[in-house]
Amino acid sequence: MAAACGRLLLRSAAAGVLGLAAARPALSGRCFSCSSYRISSDGEPAKFQPPPKPVIIDKQKQKGERRFLSPEFIPPRGRTDPLKFYIERKDMIQRRKVFNIPEFYVGSVLAVTTADPCANDKVNRFVGICIQRGGKGLGATFVLRNVIEDQGVEICYELYNPRIQAIEVLKLEKRLDDNLMYLRDALPEYSTFDVNMKPVSHLDHEEIPVNKLQVRMKPKPWSKRWERPKYNIKGIKFELPEKKMKAAQKWSQPWLEFDMLREYDTSKIEEKIWKEVSEELKK
Amino acid sequence: MAGWGLLGRLGGRLWAAAPGRPLWAAAGASGDRGQLGFVVRHINSATWWHEHLSEENVQFLKKVTAEEYKAQTDSKLCPLKDEPWPLNEWKPDSIRVGVVAVKLGMMPIWTKSGKKHAVTLLKVQDCHVLRYISKEESGGKTSQLLVGGKNASPFYKSESAVEIFKEAGVPRKQKVTTFNVTDDAIIKPGTPLYAAHFRPGQFVDVTAKTIGKGFQGVMKRWGFKGQPASHGQTKTHRRPGAISTNKAAKVYRGKKMPGRMGNIYRTSFGLKVWRINTKHDIIYVNGSVPGHTNCLVKVKDSKLSTYKDCNKNPPFPTFFADGDEKLPEDLYDEEIFQFTDPSVTYA
Repeated sequence: MAAACGRLLLRSAAAGVLGLAAARPALSGRCFSCSSYRISSDGEPAKFQPPPKPVIIDKQKQKGERRFLSPEFIPPRGRTDPLKFYIERKDMIQRRKVFNIPEFYVGSVLAVTTADPCANDKVNRFVGICIQRGGKGLGATFVLRNVIEDQGVEICYELYNPRIQAIEVLKLEKRLDDNLMYLRDALPEYSTFDVNMKPVSHLDHEEIPVNKLQVRMKPKPWSKRWERPKYNIKGIKFELPEKKMKAAQKWSQPWLEFDMLREYDTSKIEEKIWKEVSEELKK
Repeated sequence: MAGWGLLGRLGGRLWAAAPGRPLWAAAGASGDRGQLGFVVRHINSATWWHEHLSEENVQFLKKVTAEEYKAQTDSKLCPLKDEPWPLNEWKPDSIRVGVVAVKLGMMPIWTKSGKKHAVTLLKVQDCHVLRYISKEESGGKTSQLLVGGKNASPFYKSESAVEIFKEAGVPRKQKVTTFNVTDDAIIKPGTPLYAAHFRPGQFVDVTAKTIGKGFQGVMKRWGFKGQPASHGQTKTHRRPGAISTNKAAKVYRGKKMPGRMGNIYRTSFGLKVWRINTKHDIIYVNGSVPGHTNCLVKVKDSKLSTYKDCNKNPPFPTFFADGDEKLPEDLYDEEIFQFTDPSVTYA
């Protein structure tokens, strides 16, 4: 062991010497270039060398480089050929070049204008809160909900449907959950939005605000048993008796979060696709 | 070291039980791998390949095969320059060859009127004509062309099975199918086929093996109604009921009964081709197609007489990449909404 160590040490020492030797010519070279510069300055009138421009790092702008990749770009898990997603992505990017699809989340309030052959002016505008985003690729959808004349209305729009003429984000915010389907069972005031709502301004670099509103529900029965741990809902203020809340915990599956086969880490895919999409969109 | 003795005894017993596998038993008896020696190895370790070839040899063979495949494919890229068979004019009664394609999956498309259609993406991958079988040879009514699609490894097939590919001078294919063609539509073996063989607006038939469902009851397999769930039913909810009458006193042949479902060849007829991608060789076919994703399907011109007018003047006998015709990357049907256009409006 000791012999081997010695040999290693020796070798490293030799490398060090070599490195020094290699460094020396470089150093001398740099000196030489310096001196040559001086000589030229002696011979000719010295050229004015402007000082390097001060680089102003706009901290706000740096923060503003918030990466956003629309969730439908991330392919689902499976054995499908990646070429299929690439082909779809090309069409999606092509559509995004012509038509502005803004950044929005579940919980944002949107106004969507569609071409409608049945409407009087052939155009239909609907304002509502986005309660769900679904689908991958070209078939991606989002659901808007509003209460109009005491009647709950939900419309499922396709993001890449050419009949959509404009998507406006009236209020950009997130909610505590990724799916707000429980608004169907909540009091109607929580899904009522003014049709003539003015857009709330939002600066690009700002973080997306999270609305920590907890909604109050209509009395049971609900369309789903939202208190069950399966839905993991944070945006409901449950007014159920303690006993019932405890009974719901019977269905909890605490082992699922440790199931490594269910894990789908999209960070690398996201990085790659974001690069591809942003490069294509810049063209 | 009592464990060693136990291991050895176990190994001996296993050896006695399986004398036909010296390699496997030896690994067990050598014992230096501890308990892992007793894990039943995968059957592949007993093949000729694994016994006779070292890891380097395998790597080398793989590399050589890949190069050979590439050379073979490249040499076939110019069939027109290499004495093609005489080309004929298209006639209304001539039947062209089809292609073998891989089913990629489905996606939506929209027409200019704003209507949505679901399409299936079929990729024509490494598709070559393998052999020409004349009418006399086949014994049928028409001559035939063998077409193969999707390259596969040559090492898992016997020499005799790979011979057909060697004769054509193309890599081994995963799928080989027969197409009945008329005599004016025959193509020289070795010619590559592309997605541009079909054109947007025409109609095709797609044949593939459906997804296997296993042994299924009568309700799922044949759509029988079953029996009520309640009202005094005992053990009779999804059963077929009576299978014949007293007078017939027998069960008729072809009676619908439980059994294996799926995993048979089915054809979807008259599917419209909406779009062709010539760069990646993708056919966008209307609607769904039998089989699971990544399965190999057979695509040919529709035989339905309704669509005869739509299938006029196709590239005949097929599309040649080095021919006079230069195609753009995407060919669209005229009704299709292209994403470079602005949104659809009804004014």
